[in-house]
Amino acid sequence: MSETPTYIGFEEYSEHVPASIPSAVQQATSRFVGGRAARVAELPQWEELRQIGSDIRLHTIENMDVYLTRLEEKVKLAGGHVHWAETAEDARRIVLQIAKAHNVKMAVKSKSMATEEIGLNHFLEAAGIAALETDLGEYIIQLAGTGPSHIIVPAVHLKKEEIAALFSEKLNIHAPADPLELARIAREILREKFLQAEMGISGGNFLVAETGTLVMVTNEGNGRMCTTLPDLHVALVGIDKVIPDWESLTVFLKLLARSATGQKLSTYTQFITGPRHAEGEFGPKEFHLVLLDNGRSNVLKDPVGREVFKCIRCGACSNVCPVYKNVGGFAYGSFISGPIGAILSPQMLGTPAARELPYASTLCGACADVCPVRIPIPTILRHLRRRVAEGDEFSKPSIPLPLRGTAALASVALAWNWIYRLGARILPAINPFFRRDGWLSGLPYPLSRWTKVRPLPAFSAHFRQWWNVHSAEQRENSR
Amino acid sequence: MTNPTVENIRRSLGRTAQTPLSPRPALYKPRQPESVDSEIESFLGEVKKLSGVGQRISPAAIADALKALVSEQHIQKATVWDTSYLKQLGIADSLGSLGVELVSPNADKYAMALCDLGITEADFILPETGTLVLRSSAEKPRGVSLLPRVHLAIVRPEILRADMHQVFAEAKDSHYLVFITGPSRTADIELTVTLGVHGPKNLYVWMISG
Repeated sequence: MSETPTYIGFEEYSEHVPASIPSAVQQATSRFVGGRAARVAELPQWEELRQIGSDIRLHTIENMDVYLTRLEEKVKLAGGHVHWAETAEDARRIVLQIAKAHNVKMAVKSKSMATEEIGLNHFLEAAGIAALETDLGEYIIQLAGTGPSHIIVPAVHLKKEEIAALFSEKLNIHAPADPLELARIAREILREKFLQAEMGISGGNFLVAETGTLVMVTNEGNGRMCTTLPDLHVALVGIDKVIPDWESLTVFLKLLARSATGQKLSTYTQFITGPRHAEGEFGPKEFHLVLLDNGRSNVLKDPVGREVFKCIRCGACSNVCPVYKNVGGFAYGSFISGPIGAILSPQMLGTPAARELPYASTLCGACADVCPVRIPIPTILRHLRRRVAEGDEFSKPSIPLPLRGTAALASVALAWNWIYRLGARILPAINPFFRRDGWLSGLPYPLSRWTKVRPLPAFSAHFRQWWNVHSAEQRENSR
Repeated sequence: MTNPTVENIRRSLGRTAQTPLSPRPALYKPRQPESVDSEIESFLGEVKKLSGVGQRISPAAIADALKALVSEQHIQKATVWDTSYLKQLGIADSLGSLGVELVSPNADKYAMALCDLGITEADFILPETGTLVLRSSAEKPRGVSLLPRVHLAIVRPEILRADMHQVFAEAKDSHYLVFITGPSRTADIELTVTLGVHGPKNLYVWMISG
């Protein structure tokens, strides 16, 4: 899950989702949807906040070079180090170099999508440096060797009995199937690791250009441990996380936790500007910020698609998505799932590699209704479908030839009236071969792509007739 | 010095190094404060909703309250921020006379992790969310609010701020700030809410007034 995928077979993955996933995922999503609704109802200016959040994110995207330059200058002024990583490989190499220069044997990690994106854990392990996830859910799935099924609660697909068995096997202890007891065991084990580790690795929720500040939002306290106890802190953050100033930050902090977990604020929000000033205050002696591009600066070319970078990673779109709720996170085949993953992965990995994802949606629009920064997800999905079907400046059309042929024929038929009429006369003739209760099922390829999931109404040539009568009646009534 | 990423961003956006910054969109009106009493009530109410313990205490009652806390939470070792206000309240002295072993707040991380109780003094509090805002310095080390299993934060009416805006306006030049909103929590195993997974399990907030 953490390596860059070369092809995401959403259709195939979603056919092999174990039944336990949708039920666990739906428990989580309904909890979060309820919590969010309650918090939103308390705040009369919610819609105004969403609009301002959207405006500020868009403004930041459109002026990203200015804010990133300012950010770099301010982080350095605060005594931090800034590294630019053009590619995932650059980022991995930079982190490894920092670790080696400090003789690091073990790094503790707080949850970070950016490190998942570049497959940092495996890379460090291969270089002989242990990289330990410390968010409880991430710790569990790291032990299990699987990917996250939900952005906020990554191990929600595992039952307490499975987690107890996992702990017993991997940690060589007797673990009871009790969530409180399992959390206590993880606390004890990880506390030791926090104290031993020479390096803390984190992501970041926001980067404030005004002062060069890294903002991290967490609930468990592991994020604080990773940035407070080791003498070295490396934050790997996507360039899209930059925001102008602290005033803007108030908007996003008000939007984020309410949208994500239904909290007013998450338990711990840290604002880190450079390294510690005095030895006795705790905190790292050295602070490194690795700014990850990895294709983002190219995605900015597309004025429709780039709105994906407004995202503040709350997961609200997944929680309301009827497709996500039935397939869970794995089917999206990348570090980020749900509707936001469906518009991010095709842009980051290229439309050929993720061409199925823009179609992993019913276009119902629930995601856009809840998005705290008003990302027009259905619009971007349709835009990406067009890019997949017709090709774009980065790649050729990437849907199978028979489908493109069918679509081309359909567009010809719709463009010439007489062909359409002729078809309307001819097609009902095949009804007796397929007809079951007025529905057609089991049509041959490529029409089978439709009928394998839902039947097609039998062909009928009466629409024009109906329309003539109906519109005449309408005119009659409106007089 | 420019770098490939910034140059590529400019190319993608059709900008140059000389293109000026467009004006940032306007913000909303921050929350306005209510009366001090009702702000205190909101704050303590939020702390309680978050499974913390929030109460008003007069300076004269602190020694008794500490005694109750030490016995309730079986406190043997404690560490206290080295600030003038906490000294003035006589917190460390009271703990000492209760037989609690005091660990220096600047002690190393291993010693700090063995403490049962950490006592801090918030720089600001937010009534709408029940949030404590803590700065960091040699006198106010970060480990005290993080490593001990119980965290007690001392707060005063004067540090109430109506909204994050005011806090940021006053504190954005700090090299480290943390917002603490309730005790450490997770719902990662079967969505069961569990307190104290990594940070403190118990959060006490004492509003010193009267």
